[in-house]
Amino acid sequence: MQIYNDYKDHADFLTVYVREAHPTDEWQMKSNLKDDVCYAQPKTLEQRVVIANDFIKRFKFPLPFGIDDMSNGADNAYSAWPERIYIVDESGRIAYRGGMGPFNYKPAEARTWLAARYGEVKHEAPAATPSQAPAAQAAPAPPPTPVAATSTK
Amino acid sequence: MLLLAAFAVLSYMAGSPKDAYGMVRYALPHMHRGTLKVGSDAPDARLVALDGSSRFHIRERTGSRPLVLVFGSFT
Repeated sequence: MQIYNDYKDHADFLTVYVREAHPTDEWQMKSNLKDDVCYAQPKTLEQRVVIANDFIKRFKFPLPFGIDDMSNGADNAYSAWPERIYIVDESGRIAYRGGMGPFNYKPAEARTWLAARYGEVKHEAPAATPSQAPAAQAAPAPPPTPVAATSTK
Repeated sequence: MLLLAAFAVLSYMAGSPKDAYGMVRYALPHMHRGTLKVGSDAPDARLVALDGSSRFHIRERTGSRPLVLVFGSFT
């Protein structure tokens, strides 16, 4: 998550795993099959812990992580399902409330809040790909790179 | 008849009848949940760490710096 890398020196981050959005026994999506992300809705905390750890391993996910327990206390308190972002300020109040995912899940809005406070973090434009580079200057094809972790929901 | 037409339109928009059903069954009830807004006290909740046994509270992570809370699941 780029926003984490850019602002972790200024803000704390905490990812909270809540009940599954598209488990096999509820509303499974075609994309779950394509991405090989197929889990039944956990019935026990142990099952949630297993899925959360699978997620961390698959994406080498760097953010601090917590798991909502089977009372769904965090989900209920924050209306979090299926995905949502908040920013809590130093006084313990909600400073940013994101919309309900997936359609209104907008990390860019959280980034805007952080940027307004701590300044924008700019990234250099990616280097030209071999197909974009002039043929005369094209370097030999680089070795294949590992599949990069996709951004999280 | 009107309901069938509405479901057909929703199925088209969602991609399939199954996804339309999923949207109505699972997503719609959540669309207007919650009363939190900017300025509200952030609620606390107890969480479990990845080891499956340690527990901590969201409130333990607030106070000194802003806390970005990212909720989600694997699927």
